[in-house]
Amino acid sequence: MILSGYEALFFWIFALAAIFAALLTVMARNAVHSALFLISSLVSVAALFVLAGAEFIAGVQILVYVGGVMVLFLFVIMLVNVGAEERGRDQIFNKQRQVTASLIFCFLLVAGVLYAVNEGYAGLKRLHPQPEASVGPPAEQSGPPTATGTSVMTKDTERVGGSLYRYASLPFEIASVLLLVAIIGSVMLARTLKQEASADDVDPDTLQQEIARDPELAQLEPQSE
Amino acid sequence: MNMLNSFVPALAFLFQEVESGRLDLMRKAATNPDLSKFLVIGALLFIIGVAGVLTRRNIIVIFMSIELILNAANLNFVAFSRYLQETGSVNALAGQIFTVFVIVVAAAEAAIGLGIVIALYRNKETIWVDEIDLLKW
Repeated sequence: MILSGYEALFFWIFALAAIFAALLTVMARNAVHSALFLISSLVSVAALFVLAGAEFIAGVQILVYVGGVMVLFLFVIMLVNVGAEERGRDQIFNKQRQVTASLIFCFLLVAGVLYAVNEGYAGLKRLHPQPEASVGPPAEQSGPPTATGTSVMTKDTERVGGSLYRYASLPFEIASVLLLVAIIGSVMLARTLKQEASADDVDPDTLQQEIARDPELAQLEPQSE
Repeated sequence: MNMLNSFVPALAFLFQEVESGRLDLMRKAATNPDLSKFLVIGALLFIIGVAGVLTRRNIIVIFMSIELILNAANLNFVAFSRYLQETGSVNALAGQIFTVFVIVVAAAEAAIGLGIVIALYRNKETIWVDEIDLLKW
């Protein structure tokens, strides 16, 4: 896969945007700023998906991640944020020793992965010489002179949908069950003690202890009878 | 800002990878990004996510770093899918299909994880992982 011309320009723009937004996500002091930088990183990665010819994945990325998951994150930040980080009173990173050790580990990982990418890609080029053979002048192609396959809308979405139901229908159903379990689980996890007591879902000993602390709970229990 | 200086060697690695020795090769590689460039971007996003998981104290930012890691994996899947399509492999779209499932699992993970965060905040009144040490010996 070779990108050239404007595609290469956009590739570098979005790649650098994704990496810098990711860095700022990790380093921002305020969690809301982190979430906004993460959104820009995800949008940049979606643009890279478009450049790689995966329009459907890019659309799903923006709809699900940016539209769904990040809104959930922002809601939870608003619910939970104690505001201490904004005032700059507390450290946002762990203790110095832990940070140093993990950064050393990360740099070893960077070196190893980049070395492996280079070596593996050299081996892959020997294995599949076809993509290298297409590096020649783009005028050899039958389409318009600048077309490299990514600047036109492909039929990939149709093919992805077809093979999603043809070859991956069992994982598809399992994924729907997983989402159902996740919905029910998150509703169950986020209940308050009052909601649990009114559903008669608390251990009796625990309930007695909590009633001793908060007498309102005692009135809730008969409602479920 | 102290961390930014630490990440400069990683970016230097990226540019060194682009250089690949000589000037004409460097220009050719920079104007024609290929599979390995996508993989390098994915690797850098992955490392940034790992650094965020290992160093931050805020549990919500740790969750966001996990999303970054999953996104780096998605980028690799899509890049290899495109590469295999051009080599004419029969199963070239498997990468894109797997990416859909990764996004599904990431959404489920975010919902469950944030539910746990809310329950934890109700009980412990903190979102900082170094203060959540009930199981620590």
